[in-house]
Amino acid sequence: MVIKSRLSRMQLALLLLPGLLLFGIFTAYPILRLFFMSFCDMRFSSMLTQPFVGLANYREVFGDRAFWTVFANSIAYTLVTVPGQMALGLFIAVLLSGIGRFGVTFRVIHYLPVVTSWVIASLVFRYIFNTEGLLNYFLWKVLGITSSNIRWLDTRWGGLSVAMILGIWKGIGWNMVIFLAALQQVPQELYEAAEIDGCGAWGRFVHVTLPGIRGTILFALIELTIGGFNVFTSIKMITGGRPAHQTDTLLTWMYYKAFSTGAFGYAAALSFVMAFTLGLMAIAQFRAMRNKDA
Amino acid sequence: MRIWKILALAALTGLLALAACPVLADEEPVTINFWHHYSAQSAENETLMNVLIPAFEAENPGIKVNAVSHEWAELHDKVLVSANSQQLPDVARCDIAWLPEFEKMGILTALDEEMPDFDEVCAQLLDSAMSTAKIGEHYYALALNTNSKIVFYNTAMLEAAGVSMPATMDEWVEAVRKLSGENANGQQVWGWNEPALAGWNLCPLIWSFGGSLTDPAQTVATGYLNSPETVKAVETFATLVKEGALTGFNAGDIPMTDGFGTGRYAMMLEGPWKSAELAGAYPDVAYGTAPIPAGEGGSISVLGGEDIAMFNTANKEAAWKFMQFMTGEFAETEMAKCGQIPVNQAALKSDTVKNADYAPFIEAIKTAKARPTVAAWSEMDDGLSVTMTQIVTGEKGAQEALDALAAEWDKLLGQ
Repeated sequence: MVIKSRLSRMQLALLLLPGLLLFGIFTAYPILRLFFMSFCDMRFSSMLTQPFVGLANYREVFGDRAFWTVFANSIAYTLVTVPGQMALGLFIAVLLSGIGRFGVTFRVIHYLPVVTSWVIASLVFRYIFNTEGLLNYFLWKVLGITSSNIRWLDTRWGGLSVAMILGIWKGIGWNMVIFLAALQQVPQELYEAAEIDGCGAWGRFVHVTLPGIRGTILFALIELTIGGFNVFTSIKMITGGRPAHQTDTLLTWMYYKAFSTGAFGYAAALSFVMAFTLGLMAIAQFRAMRNKDA
Repeated sequence: MRIWKILALAALTGLLALAACPVLADEEPVTINFWHHYSAQSAENETLMNVLIPAFEAENPGIKVNAVSHEWAELHDKVLVSANSQQLPDVARCDIAWLPEFEKMGILTALDEEMPDFDEVCAQLLDSAMSTAKIGEHYYALALNTNSKIVFYNTAMLEAAGVSMPATMDEWVEAVRKLSGENANGQQVWGWNEPALAGWNLCPLIWSFGGSLTDPAQTVATGYLNSPETVKAVETFATLVKEGALTGFNAGDIPMTDGFGTGRYAMMLEGPWKSAELAGAYPDVAYGTAPIPAGEGGSISVLGGEDIAMFNTANKEAAWKFMQFMTGEFAETEMAKCGQIPVNQAALKSDTVKNADYAPFIEAIKTAKARPTVAAWSEMDDGLSVTMTQIVTGEKGAQEALDALAAEWDKLLGQ
């Protein structure tokens, strides 16, 4: 027996080894190396020496006005797109869970944006919102509401809003699928009991549906918050950070600092600031949801 | 006995001769590694591999060239990574913007210090192009090919507005204003397009107005970047933007080629590649080209292009021979046939160059200037874009904003 269990342990270790090796080489090591980089003066001109500079990169990040602008942009993007896509996704899921015919058709239609390429969707949105784009054409030439072209993409909040609309449009389908699955798990008897107790449709939604899918809401919230902070392609394609980095978000700014200016140390520090912020937000979200449980 | 001695001696001589043969055969030629970013499928690469390298190897029997093609951005990163592992090539074709970084890393050879005939070689090349290879006191490369920007104007739009191509900066301002407004379809049109607010875009205007970015030694910006001439250039630019006569750098603007091809932008300052782009996308648009209008500083455009540099781990003698060959009349004329604008004075006088599409650019190149050749340039350039945005949006006045930027640049230049 002893020999057998030792063998199986050996077997286990051997089976785990490839996975652990891959994880170690391609995930753990790069993260540790990046963490070390964030304490080094690592830019094009100091590539050969990479002197240790302690917290200098972190000080540079926090002392940089551009950082606070892009940080605020990322927060704003997350605060708008996460609740936006969750609410709309849940709304459509509730509507869809009630219908039998054409259910699959509607699901497919609403899921299509999710599988559309970010690059193509961003370009389409850019053409819609260009100063000479489709939206201005409709507003001015077709509907006659405006008397000149509106510069949607040329200001900080204008450009960001377009990226936010794209983010919401693209995320609804994913939320719909997740919530649709969660809604199936809520026991039908609870709805019946609530109805007997005199609950209307809204009451049933608030008192039965929402508590019933709380776990899924928390999961979606954390996933989408991480996703919100990771917004990159749409910003890069729609505004490119213009004007003057005012529409950059954490990731596009990090990319710019690392690969355009060669400030790898700064970018490494920024990535840990971002990871730390996301960690804090995830803890806060867990706590908030747990308190509701109590 | 004597016969034995003679036979033994003959055998020994034969053995020695045999032994010597492999030694001679083993004396392998020196191989120099040359990294470049001519794309693998291009006519330039074909000329390099099938014409230039065979010709060089025939001229220099002891030297072989191993040429490796990289993507443009990949080459830059590859050099950085290889510097770390001491695996650098002998010679590389570098974008002029990379040299200051490489120099600061201490991986380049100062050619004027190490090559006794540097001055003679340098004299055969265009001064303006060689200025891109000078960092601080020394030259770290030879100019290899160059480019610059000239004005492209839509002939029909200028005719319709009754404007001839402006020759001076004052005329330019008036022309840009006159060419702006609405076209027959009620669409807005602009006199001038500028697709970004970086040094590549602003320098020609600043220099032609008589302004500058730094002192000639590139050690200080205050007094230059915020000089009355630079401020005037920037203010003129910002005024034209505010009047709706100049655009192109906003995220929502019509892209440059599309705007020019469809008659929405009347004029633009662009490089030799634009002709091919227009021929492909808008073959029907009729346009002319002209040098940038002259201001108090003259007609000064901005230099682009590539240099050929030697790393300090190179086989210097062989590498230097190859660099001289690549910048010599033969190689430069051959490359000119593929669209590369030469920097070799003799090659510039060849019929190939005189009849090439890029002939109008040659004059501009003679007076064009390089952007500052300092390691901090990318950071300085970003600061310029941000500051220009503040100025054109009216957030800050030109003088105030450039004073602040000059102080920032002073710090970067001092590092």
